Amino acid sequence: MIRLLFFVDQLSAWIGKSFGWLILVLTLGTSYEVFVRYVLSAPTTWAFDISYVMYGALFLMAGAYTLSRNGHVRGDVLHRLWPPRWQAGVDLTLYVIFYFPGVLALCYAGWNFAALSVQFKEVSIFSPAGVPIYPLKMLIPAAGILLLIQGLAESLRCILCLRTGVWPARMADVEEMETAIMHAEEARRSGAAAGDAR
Amino acid sequence: MSNPEIGIMMLGLFIFIVMLGFPIAFTLIAMGVIFGYYAYATPDQLDHIFDNRIFPLLVQKTFEVMSSDVLTAVPLFLFMGYVVERSNILDRLFNSIQLAARNMPGSLAVATLITCALFATATGIVGAVVTLMGLLAYPAMLRAGYDVRLASGVVCAGGCLGILIPPSILLIVYAATAGISAVKLYAAALFPGFMLAGFYVLYVMGRAMLNPALAPKLVQEGPPPSLRTVTMALLTSFFPLAVLILAVLGAILFGLATPSEAAAIGALGSLVLAACYRALNFERLREAVFLTARTTAMVCYLFIGSWTFSSVFSYLGGHSVVEEFFAGLDIGTIGFLILTQLIIFLLGWPLEWTEIIIIFVPIFLPLLKTFEVDPVFFGILVALNIQTSFNTPPMAMAAYYLKGVAPPQVRLTQIFSGSLPFVFMVFLAMVLVYVFPGIVLWLPDYLYTPR
Repeated sequence: MIRLLFFVDQLSAWIGKSFGWLILVLTLGTSYEVFVRYVLSAPTTWAFDISYVMYGALFLMAGAYTLSRNGHVRGDVLHRLWPPRWQAGVDLTLYVIFYFPGVLALCYAGWNFAALSVQFKEVSIFSPAGVPIYPLKMLIPAAGILLLIQGLAESLRCILCLRTGVWPARMADVEEMETAIMHAEEARRSGAAAGDAR
Repeated sequence: MSNPEIGIMMLGLFIFIVMLGFPIAFTLIAMGVIFGYYAYATPDQLDHIFDNRIFPLLVQKTFEVMSSDVLTAVPLFLFMGYVVERSNILDRLFNSIQLAARNMPGSLAVATLITCALFATATGIVGAVVTLMGLLAYPAMLRAGYDVRLASGVVCAGGCLGILIPPSILLIVYAATAGISAVKLYAAALFPGFMLAGFYVLYVMGRAMLNPALAPKLVQEGPPPSLRTVTMALLTSFFPLAVLILAVLGAILFGLATPSEAAAIGALGSLVLAACYRALNFERLREAVFLTARTTAMVCYLFIGSWTFSSVFSYLGGHSVVEEFFAGLDIGTIGFLILTQLIIFLLGWPLEWTEIIIIFVPIFLPLLKTFEVDPVFFGILVALNIQTSFNTPPMAMAAYYLKGVAPPQVRLTQIFSGSLPFVFMVFLAMVLVYVFPGIVLWLPDYLYTPR
């Protein structure tokens, strides 16, 4: 069961991280545009389109990865005070009512939207370079399906927690610096306290 | 039930679900879809259940977020921030500013404030600044015999300045939400940002002069450092970062580059900076890339949800109910501003700035026209207001971060009470901005009004 969870987590993370590297393309591509515009007075015809295609693909495909890390913002003032079983019960109910309908709609509507765009090989209207944007639109249903799979994995987490009373572990990953520092500090202190006790 | 009533029910239900702690972006998307399906249902809906206007609407809003040129700046600024955060610059920065400020009253606290402001402006990430400075400057202040409350307030308040002083991500997000120019908003935030930072510095210096026991003068060991040493220290740490920020900001304000182009240059510059400090390796780059992906997804999925939700909400007539409600209060412009800012202040207790700006501010935006408030002006008031949300319980993130790294004898209540004067200074700044709107509007008018 845990292995299945980790497999889904890994899939989402792998795809999200791969698309994450687009930030380098976005940084370098946009910087290149500024350089050729001012230094060589020869602006590109494609930089603007490339920039939003990169950005759009980056965040859309990182959605499931973020969910697998519990990274989507939630108002958890009360939530964090509850025992794990309560948290899991509430989460599971809300996944059914307020997660899957939206994500399924995204898959369905995204599919129609992308299929139309692919049919006539749509290109961007913003520039004469004719940068194709149908691949970007195809990512919408793809992101929807990923979110669907990750959502099922999260629901499974809730069910496991309801059974055992503890949240199943998540895989280790890079944390925000403040979280990493606070954890390190906590570990150092409890280590020091254990040392004192001995 | 009539449609507007359904709309209000939708808003109420949404707030309830938020309080239950479910990921907000997906709650918004699903509620938009469910209520939208109802709102756009045709009389013979049951005969073709997959044919409803909510489906094209949802995907159209999704694509709008994906192709927004304003929001393209978000991952770039985040990436710049995560790289600067990992560039080992903070120690040098703090030490050099401390050397330069050593003869001022409360010098350590002043140096902390300036370091926080500069570093937070470059990174735009509140938590990292507070924890890093909590480990670096905070123990230094306590060792020097500074008052615990004063030292805590300085770190917490200083760390939050980064979301106000441009180029800040909060302002980009507000610009995208309100559909106004991010450039104008940056120009508008410049003076209020410096004003607030100035208040903080003056306050600390004033307290230190009136009661030197709060911030004892540092004991000088050996001969004072030569001017050359101080200049060299500043040149190798303060100036590179300041130049990076000013280059990004200048390019935006003088119209040389769009915010996203300037952000790209800033991100490239931060990579160069990190390389110069020998802090750029594959591991750190990976961390910065992955964190950028996650935080961008968090922000942008909120936008998809919010734009879908609010289309349905206004189609149902929810917006007009809100408008009628405010119009019926008969409170005038001042009353409207006070009421909305009070609501935003209260929302800052349980929520973070992303949710406030992306989800709740849009409820007030259509009212600005009715009450003749400039959306740029309103945005600056909101950005100032949100400074307080990090320092007021129960969700005082800055205080919790500091508590997490502070020596065990420091109590959370001491941190809260230390932040309180700084929260009051934010209110003072808001009042001044209201009384003298020129603080906000002069620069954008001067720069962008054709003459």
